[in-house]
Amino acid sequence: MTVVSSSGNGRNPKTCLDDLIAAVLDRFAEAVSAAPAGHGYAAGFQLGHPETLRSLCRFLFWDQGCSFGGIIAEEHPSHWQLYYPFLLPGNGWTAVSLRLPSDATTVPSISAEVHAADWHEREIEDLFGLVFEGHPRLGDFILHDQVWHEGIAPMRKSFSANQPHFERQPNLEWRPLLVVQDPGAFAMPVGPVYEGGVGESLHFLLETVGEDVVRSSPRLFYNYRAVEKIAEGKTINDALLLAERFAATSAFAHSLAFCQAVENIYSSRVSSRAQQLRVVLCELERLRHHAAAIAAICESTALAVSASQAAIIEEHLLRASCVFAGHRYLFGLNIPGGLTRDFDTQACTELLNATNKACTNLLELEDRLRYSSSFLDRLEDVGAIDARDARDLNLVGPIGRASAQSNDLRRACPYSGYERYKFDVPCESEGDGYARLRVLFAECVQSAALIRQGVQSLDAGPVRIACDTSHAGASIGWVEAPRGAALHWVSIDGLGVIERYRAITPSFNNWLGFHLAAENFAFQDFPIILATFGLSATECDR
Amino acid sequence: MIAASVTATALLLAFVTCACGIVACALVSRTKVAGVVAAGGTLSSIFLMLASGAVLVSGRSFEASLWVLEGWGRFTLRMDALSSIFLFAAGVVYLSSSIFVKTFSTTRPGNREAARRFGVMYFVLMASVVLILIASDVPLFLITWECMSILCFLLINYKHRERADRSAGYLMLAMSEAGFIMVLIAFLIVGKSAPSLSFPALAAAGSTLSHGALWAVFTLGFLGFGVKAGLVPVNFWLPRSYTASPSIFIPVFAGVTLNLGFYGILRLNGDLAPGSYGTGLFAIIVGSVTALVGILYATTESDMKTMLAFSSIENAGVIVAGIGAFLVFRATGHAVASAIALTAALYHMVNHSVYKTLLFQGAGYVEAETGTRDMDRLGGLSRILPGLSAVFLVGCLAISAVPPFNGFVSEWLTLQALLRSAILGSASIRIVFALCGAALALTAALAVTCFVKAYAMSFLGIRRGTWGPQAQRNAHAPFPLWFLAVVCLLLGVLPTYIIPILNRAVEPMAQASVTAALVPPFFTATATNQQLPPAFLQDFHNLGAQSGGAVLPGRGLVVLLRGGEQNPVVFAMSPSYSLIALALMLFLAWLVISRWTRERAVVRRELWAGGIPRLLAEMTYTATGFSNPVRVVFQAVFRPNITEDTRQTVAVHFRTAIRRRREETPIVDRLFLRPIRDAMAGVASILAGMHHGRLNMYIAYVVGFFLIILFLYRVT
Amino acid sequence: MSFWFWYGLRKGVQSTRYPFGPETAPGISPGRPVNTQFESAAKAGAAAGICPVGAIVANDRWALVDERTCVHCQRCRLELDVPIDWRPGYEWAELPPNRALYSPLPRPFSKSLHIMVVDAGDCGACLHEVKQLNNPLYNMHRLGFFTTATPRMADLLLVVGPISENMREPLIKTYEAMPDNKRVMAVGSCAINGGVFGRSFMSAGGVGSVLPVDLEVPGNPPPPLAILHALLAATGRKPLGTPEFAEAVPISKPAEWKPSGL
Repeated sequence: MTVVSSSGNGRNPKTCLDDLIAAVLDRFAEAVSAAPAGHGYAAGFQLGHPETLRSLCRFLFWDQGCSFGGIIAEEHPSHWQLYYPFLLPGNGWTAVSLRLPSDATTVPSISAEVHAADWHEREIEDLFGLVFEGHPRLGDFILHDQVWHEGIAPMRKSFSANQPHFERQPNLEWRPLLVVQDPGAFAMPVGPVYEGGVGESLHFLLETVGEDVVRSSPRLFYNYRAVEKIAEGKTINDALLLAERFAATSAFAHSLAFCQAVENIYSSRVSSRAQQLRVVLCELERLRHHAAAIAAICESTALAVSASQAAIIEEHLLRASCVFAGHRYLFGLNIPGGLTRDFDTQACTELLNATNKACTNLLELEDRLRYSSSFLDRLEDVGAIDARDARDLNLVGPIGRASAQSNDLRRACPYSGYERYKFDVPCESEGDGYARLRVLFAECVQSAALIRQGVQSLDAGPVRIACDTSHAGASIGWVEAPRGAALHWVSIDGLGVIERYRAITPSFNNWLGFHLAAENFAFQDFPIILATFGLSATECDR
Repeated sequence: MIAASVTATALLLAFVTCACGIVACALVSRTKVAGVVAAGGTLSSIFLMLASGAVLVSGRSFEASLWVLEGWGRFTLRMDALSSIFLFAAGVVYLSSSIFVKTFSTTRPGNREAARRFGVMYFVLMASVVLILIASDVPLFLITWECMSILCFLLINYKHRERADRSAGYLMLAMSEAGFIMVLIAFLIVGKSAPSLSFPALAAAGSTLSHGALWAVFTLGFLGFGVKAGLVPVNFWLPRSYTASPSIFIPVFAGVTLNLGFYGILRLNGDLAPGSYGTGLFAIIVGSVTALVGILYATTESDMKTMLAFSSIENAGVIVAGIGAFLVFRATGHAVASAIALTAALYHMVNHSVYKTLLFQGAGYVEAETGTRDMDRLGGLSRILPGLSAVFLVGCLAISAVPPFNGFVSEWLTLQALLRSAILGSASIRIVFALCGAALALTAALAVTCFVKAYAMSFLGIRRGTWGPQAQRNAHAPFPLWFLAVVCLLLGVLPTYIIPILNRAVEPMAQASVTAALVPPFFTATATNQQLPPAFLQDFHNLGAQSGGAVLPGRGLVVLLRGGEQNPVVFAMSPSYSLIALALMLFLAWLVISRWTRERAVVRRELWAGGIPRLLAEMTYTATGFSNPVRVVFQAVFRPNITEDTRQTVAVHFRTAIRRRREETPIVDRLFLRPIRDAMAGVASILAGMHHGRLNMYIAYVVGFFLIILFLYRVT
Repeated sequence: MSFWFWYGLRKGVQSTRYPFGPETAPGISPGRPVNTQFESAAKAGAAAGICPVGAIVANDRWALVDERTCVHCQRCRLELDVPIDWRPGYEWAELPPNRALYSPLPRPFSKSLHIMVVDAGDCGACLHEVKQLNNPLYNMHRLGFFTTATPRMADLLLVVGPISENMREPLIKTYEAMPDNKRVMAVGSCAINGGVFGRSFMSAGGVGSVLPVDLEVPGNPPPPLAILHALLAATGRKPLGTPEFAEAVPISKPAEWKPSGL
């Protein structure tokens, strides 16, 4: 296991960003102009015309080694605004921004060069109606073609979110797009109501010729609630509820990203005590989430005792969260400007005890699992994604780190005071199920260590500083959620009401890579691959 | 006497009908040929059944002498019980096939250009098949055999102007000729020391052959007749020819000409020149391997006709394994066991004729209604063709050896016959029997898989192909298929009547009566039955068997197979009783359900498929998918060559199509056809070195050869 | 392999005593706000105003809480000068408002209930709480409750989430695929009335607009013991509306916070 330690990468951050800007301007002299820092971005590039978009993104992603954040599309009355955030590790976010006239209907697709943009472009096409030229497969993404007819574009301002349900007839001519074309190949449908027991709504078409599955195509967005659309027109506090609750198992992380975006818009300060408590709560959530993921992996391999023990650890952490913060899933804690409540020393000590105990139990469990050969047999070399594919698709979070993608936003782009803590970012290179499990355990240990550091060095002071929400503005906020890097974009108009809210979630980025892990395997391995990926459909669907 | 005259008259009438049929087919208009074939074929098959039935019932064989040819000897005919059984089976097949020709032609109004040709050849083939079965001397046998081979080839290719690929027919012809030559040599070896070439004379000479000569006769005869029977080293022509032959010919091809191979083996190696137990072991091993290879390829095949062809190979293997067991038991002196084995083989032969014909006719109808034979493209036919679906199901159940149909009886008898190897002395023979029995059991299991796939993927489920609206809803299955289905049921439910009939043929060959062994009249009086020890019989009667005799109709409805004298162990099987019991249980269940559960209504709801809007055909199992585990487990046999051809638009993860091409050569081709062909080609290319076109060298060849001949003449 | 057997045995029995006794471990339930009488109508009005989903209605000096609508945002106890009363407990199951009577599942089902869980747009919290019911601490198997994978064998349909439109048809198909004598339970405030997502073009606003609901479990998310109580009520083994053990659970009190700069 390689570990990226907290000593940093030894480069002077400012120099790197300047180098980057210089290199870009050098190469794309006419077409690109540098934009000043703002909206939460450390740097920006303004494109004169769309044709250079592809080569610029390729340059940033491949030649400069940036990580791709997503695509943010905004519809203004007079123009379209598209942002392509890229992260240069250690140097903050850089955005390529593209402005199109309001009657434009096509945008050049960058998926050929930056494959990680595949699903982002499909989502924008489905929701906004903008066609990305050169994308090989648009449509049938969020609004399934079998049920929704074409041309709805719900994210356009002209579409009202309050439309009542209207009757739709399924399209009888629809056929799934099958990739395997052997004679006698067929696609076994799994879902959307499928998992034995309790599971999220997912649909897969497992294409096979009978014995092993050659290819699996996930069809998601059965949990799509159009959070981004219904947030528009809400006040900040109401939208905070949405940001918190579209993916409750990472509720604190997403609400933190939202609050950081709002704080950035109003340049409001957050007290150091609030920052430290935010770190403690983030890591508490991460620890609990990883315990649940470990329990799910053990359950998928039918090792019932270890699954039960991991579930017990998770339940104790849920109870500890409830005692500490008043809610088992840490709802209602973040607010722009800090936290809604404070915690006394005794509560913090109790929390520390609980997390230490959980960490000890998890380590004991890991030690035992390492010697269960029947368990390891089902995880090793199952669902492997190699480092090159992981880089190609820009996988994030523990899944990316199991395939040697060591990007962690707490280290690459620190927020909420993370730069003051000592912690490691565990990394593996095999990329199979066992590697992901090891990464999860190692991150649990690091989270417990962070909680300890946070609790033992809490500064005194207020826990909330009021946020003056008086003017319009827009900003990104980012956080390393338990499943990976999450990016929120909040745009507020002059009345203090949300104009555009975009949540780019780690599950959305990682689901793109699922089909690589789920190729050429036996049917029995499918639930295991799903569990080791540990992704959340609801976080992806929003 | 009466029987003899009945037989003679019936045979004569059969030939006369064939002759009339030939003339009529040549003269009438094209559209009426099918009717002529149906009428003539039905009539003559009824006469054939009469003739063979008379021989079987009366127990006296029919003999006749025909004319004498210079240098060849006298042509004689002899229809004994063995020939009659084969002739009766051929009659049943011909009856249904002739009517099938008519009914099939009406569903498929293709062009009738070659119809006359077909009709003429059909009747000539029928006549030659009859003559093969009743020939009693070598020349007549061989002439009619050759006639039959050539006619088969002609009938496969009778629409030769329309077809592009005629190579399957040529391969069949080549293999038939090779087999013919081997058979000819075998007969000549036997007949070398015989006064004439008639079968009785050969039988007398056969008992005086030396060991080496016997082995030579056996090998040549076995493999020569094995070509027609479809045994492993020489059956690579069979799947291709069956797939290539037209639907109106294939029932006869599969139901009658296949049996001629068995007839030849039985006649030459069972009757005229019986060998030692070594030859029997060879036959068992070849039979088991044939059965296993056949069913493996049948299970993984998705073309219906080719699958049925491989299944014919499998059944041929089972029959030959039974014949081998018969030879071994007879050579080691266990007459009763040999009789049971031969009965099993003959029963299986009869059963196979019936259900294979049924299945091929069904496949023909399926192809006519939907336009495709590919089981990956079928599905949901039971809704459109319910009658055909029902009879096809009967055929599948019969071939999978499910009671109460006929396959069960013969399969059970074959396996029981192999199990009787316990009475043999030599351990090595017992081991061979055990292994072959295991192979046959595996074959039986795979046969069930194969036909579950065949029925379910074609008739059940959702329609996968695009042949939909044209296929008419045809509720009734045509008569020939119903007829064969009823025969399947009768053969399965009445084995206690069939076995004594088969006994007429078995007894002379095995020197023991199988009726007494398998169907003893134990329901009747005690003391007169000498086969069972009295103590056993007393116990059995104390259990109430006598009352059974009063209640149950028929003679001995239970088939018994018992162990040795010291400890009589009874293995009994009674399809008739089972059928009655099954009917009773179903009736009782229906009674209970209809009387006591009146208030519960049955609600039909939509199929649960995980909540998707519609279950599409792409989402259901295909025939290839169903049989894929077999392909994977037996990969060493199949040895496929898989090349992956992925087409990607942009990069690794934007795949638009994945295609894996899978090339397989069947194992028999790999192991036999290819090496022979390559060897021949090698030899030919060496010899081709002689043909270089230089006139001087050719003259030198002639001179050199002349000198060699002079030298040899001088020396000897 | 035998190691895991002994390991599990060594860890001992950890199941809760509920429903045969109160469960008093801290952290099993967040509790919820209840009707509170304030000193003045203004304070009650402030309480009503702070609720983002309109679960609190001011009536003179009383602030009346609609438990079905409460989404546990905790603002009414953290952001008011005088916080609302907060009561511990977990026996929250109740009938939908338009139903007066509930006929529980009769005898064979009540001791062996098969539950079909459908996620119709759930945020993950309610689904997670349902999943927790299978772990040894709650262990619903000992009470005869099982989850099935197919609706054909299910007696009770447990729905979480506000019913996203993409899941409307699958949910209806699931309901129709269940054999008769079935019940539908809506778990969580989203499933009751849409929760924070409300009604929109993509959210049906609760199970009630798609299927007939027999029982509701308010909460966001309801803790596992609340769902367990609802299952027991669904089978008639516990009465609705009269909590037995609610008072015994201690809950955490928020520390004092002093606003600065306001």
